[in-house]
Amino acid sequence: MSTDVISTDALTTDVITTDTLTTDARAASLRPFGKPSLLWWVTVVALALVIGAGIAAWVVQLKGGMGVAGYNDHAFWAIYIADVITFIGVSYGGAVVSAILRLTGATWRAPLTRLAEGTAVVTVLIGTALIIPHIGNPIRLYELLTRPNLSAPVFWDFVAVSTYTFASIVFFALPLVPDMAVLHQGHEQRLGKRRATLYAKVSRGWTGAPKQRAVLAGALGLVSIMIIPLAVSVHSVLAWAFATTSRPWWHESIWAPQFVVAALYSGVALVILVLAGFRRGYHLQALITPRHFIRLGFILATFAATYIYLTFADLLPGAYVGDTGTASTFTDLLTGRLALWFWMFAVVGGLLPLLLVALPWTRNVTGMVIAATLVLPMMWLKRFLLVVGPATYDTMTHTFGSYHFTWVPIAITLAAVAAVPLLLMLLFRVVPLLSIDEIEEIEQMQEIDEMEKDLTARPDSDSGGSSAPADHDGAPVGTTTGTSHRVAGATGVLLLVALMGMLGIGTAHPASAATPQIASVNASVRTSVRTSTGAPTITIKGVEGGGKVQLTATLTGANGQPQADAPVAFFFNTTQFGTPARPVPLGLVTTDKTGVATLILGGDANHLYRPTTKGPQEFGASFTPTKADAKPITASVTVNITVARSAYNPAPPKPLAGLGKGLVVALFAIVAAIWLTLIAQIWRVRRVRLAVQEPATSTA
Amino acid sequence: MQDRTTHPEEGAASPPPAVTLKERQALSRRLLLGTLGVTAAGGALAMVSYHDDAQAATTSTVMAAMPTATAAEHAWCMVIDLRTCDGCKACTASCQKRHQLRPEQTWINVYEMKDSSGGTFNMPRPCMMCEDAPCMYICPVGANIRTDEGLVLVDTDACVGSRACMAACPYEARYFNWSDPLPQKRLPMASSPQMPVPEKGTVGKCVFCADRLPHGELPACVSGCPMGVLYIGDLVTDTAVNGQGTSVVLSDFLRANDAVRYKEELGTNPRVYYILGHGQSLGGGA
Repeated sequence: MSTDVISTDALTTDVITTDTLTTDARAASLRPFGKPSLLWWVTVVALALVIGAGIAAWVVQLKGGMGVAGYNDHAFWAIYIADVITFIGVSYGGAVVSAILRLTGATWRAPLTRLAEGTAVVTVLIGTALIIPHIGNPIRLYELLTRPNLSAPVFWDFVAVSTYTFASIVFFALPLVPDMAVLHQGHEQRLGKRRATLYAKVSRGWTGAPKQRAVLAGALGLVSIMIIPLAVSVHSVLAWAFATTSRPWWHESIWAPQFVVAALYSGVALVILVLAGFRRGYHLQALITPRHFIRLGFILATFAATYIYLTFADLLPGAYVGDTGTASTFTDLLTGRLALWFWMFAVVGGLLPLLLVALPWTRNVTGMVIAATLVLPMMWLKRFLLVVGPATYDTMTHTFGSYHFTWVPIAITLAAVAAVPLLLMLLFRVVPLLSIDEIEEIEQMQEIDEMEKDLTARPDSDSGGSSAPADHDGAPVGTTTGTSHRVAGATGVLLLVALMGMLGIGTAHPASAATPQIASVNASVRTSVRTSTGAPTITIKGVEGGGKVQLTATLTGANGQPQADAPVAFFFNTTQFGTPARPVPLGLVTTDKTGVATLILGGDANHLYRPTTKGPQEFGASFTPTKADAKPITASVTVNITVARSAYNPAPPKPLAGLGKGLVVALFAIVAAIWLTLIAQIWRVRRVRLAVQEPATSTA
Repeated sequence: MQDRTTHPEEGAASPPPAVTLKERQALSRRLLLGTLGVTAAGGALAMVSYHDDAQAATTSTVMAAMPTATAAEHAWCMVIDLRTCDGCKACTASCQKRHQLRPEQTWINVYEMKDSSGGTFNMPRPCMMCEDAPCMYICPVGANIRTDEGLVLVDTDACVGSRACMAACPYEARYFNWSDPLPQKRLPMASSPQMPVPEKGTVGKCVFCADRLPHGELPACVSGCPMGVLYIGDLVTDTAVNGQGTSVVLSDFLRANDAVRYKEELGTNPRVYYILGHGQSLGGGA
């Protein structure tokens, strides 16, 4: 958007009468529908060129692989994921600010809502699209639908983002109905053919009858309530996509709330910039006043303060405890490689905007626009730092890899930035720039209010110290939907609780090996003896019983007498690792006076080996005479193993492992309920629009 | 209507007859829609196949309960005897040759680590084949497979390239194909999780040479190690062998040499055991 310094406007707001305001709202909304100016065309073409360059860069990346974007195995996530967080984040500003202002009945919101909600829709779409360059194999993204892994945070990200996108589109689209009706009925000739057809279709049957208004207000109130937990859930799940990995810093407990506040902070900043741009471009000074900027500035300052607090609350415990990984990452961030950038963020992106709002002489449109202009790139920088710091940290060597920008990701990021104003400019060529109906309705309410109060003049300047929305005199719009509000609120809470438990989904039960329980005792039946041709001889017998195997080797010396005190090495043969069979040593046993060495497998703590597979198994014993030139002599026996015991003991299941499935079902039920409720709101408004046939009592 | 909104109980008790039918219709329509929605959601739920380990666990539990079922015959593991590793990286070289990897793709990587006395020791790191593998849970499309024998493998034909597994792996064992892979020098054959052919935009990692193990052959790194550092083992049959002809009873070998698992505290239950002996510290500090 235009980031020019905007001169302070004359404070003409309160002098303007209701009539001129109304006319202004309509006239202003019609303004973008006229023949576009040269400046409009130049802007659109310039922005389109930037986007074209971004698409070209993406094609280059598709051809060359993600390596051309500067990625490597030590920087596996970097700029694109920071872009995704930033763009989906700025979307909340629009949606949540608009929703909160609607719910708190802040009447001053009226001229801002449409622009804010439009920004929300546009940016969430761009943010979602930015996942495409982030993914190494974007052609397979459909697999998120066809073979989702229900224990993956990224899958739930996808669910949450798409639900939120749908909700923000509904939130944007529902208030269009009365506006389109007003414009279509009153100013059809200025709409042009295609817009007129669209408006007629959308607003058919809308007369502004009280019942229609009540239903619309109810639907909007419900969606306003739903969109807040939805927005919170999306950025929480996004944060958890980081937090559920094994990187230091990423799994600090504060990440989800920090992400949410970061999103709101940057979102409000974008709303300020969008407002400034459109205000200037379409001359909306009479409707969007310095007062609006200052109030948004207060909201911005609130989030700035909260975010600075969270940033350091995030860093302090980890830096204090000093775990290897966390300490390395924080050292790198606070005093090392990334320190310059981090402190730049802290000062330029946190402190300066706060000051700009706090100081009375910068608390004006220019000051707010400058603050917003500082916040947006700095919040991107913060996201980039928190992605790239831990992502480049090598958890094996405790060193850092590096990420180097190339032109490709920069071009793609700039294209995404350019897409915001371009899409907004195109969007408001189609739909009304202002929510006319809301402006007019609030004006009427204020008029009545003022008449009832016998007209005491409202304070002229609103630059007072409160950071909360100051106007509460307008009745909340959604007053008739108390029950549904509560239901939606409860749904939101449930959703949050359920998402928080997501980590419990699924656990790996290692393939367990068989542990046959055969009680009977089997003596071995076959004994084969093989003696070497040297002077000493060795024989071996094997007996199986009770799950144990007793191997008895008898050693006869060269003189034909039993050889005592000689070490006999027992082994078994395995062909598991190829042929010829490999002898696996079982241990040394010294022969007794009768020349006998006995080894009981599983018999004592030093010989843990027991037969692990049923069927014939070859055991052996060997003796190496002490003479230097003597060759070892070996005997072997095949024992038929009837009681086998796998040596493998699987690890016990993880705690909470059983919760996974129930949680998934609950989550799906909640998501389905949200989608159905949203669809029901569209349905509701459509029904009441078409059902009421009484003559128009609208204010038009 | 007004009354019904403000006093619902009154309205419900005696609704105006004119409204009743309409209301009932609306109600039933809403009910119908709701029912349809829930049914659709349930159906979708039922169709969604579990690709996570919870499913695998259930399946194996069911199978274990069946009397005729045969459980896994093997549970592959590796033992790495750090006492004899001299850091020649022959294991890395033979792995890269066999799997046609780029030089920076070190499926088995030999790290030079610092020991507690200030010296260094060499530490080969293959895939740890964790029993509770973090990569399994985090893959958005379930492209990681865990075989009955405990091998964690990547289905390169499904990998979407999100690199979430790279973030999740505490052992840095995963490598991405950031550009076109090297030209394949062997006969063209279909890629399989057991013997993956590198593909641009997908992730790859050590597979324990899963295609060799069923034939009684040793993984490339094990047979390539001139020092006999690397042992391939089977936890079920309790044996392990190295490339230099040494065979051991696995449990005895691990116990007698005080073998440890790397980053045991993370609870991933890795299937690679290290034998220390030079005052190394293993684990800690993810």
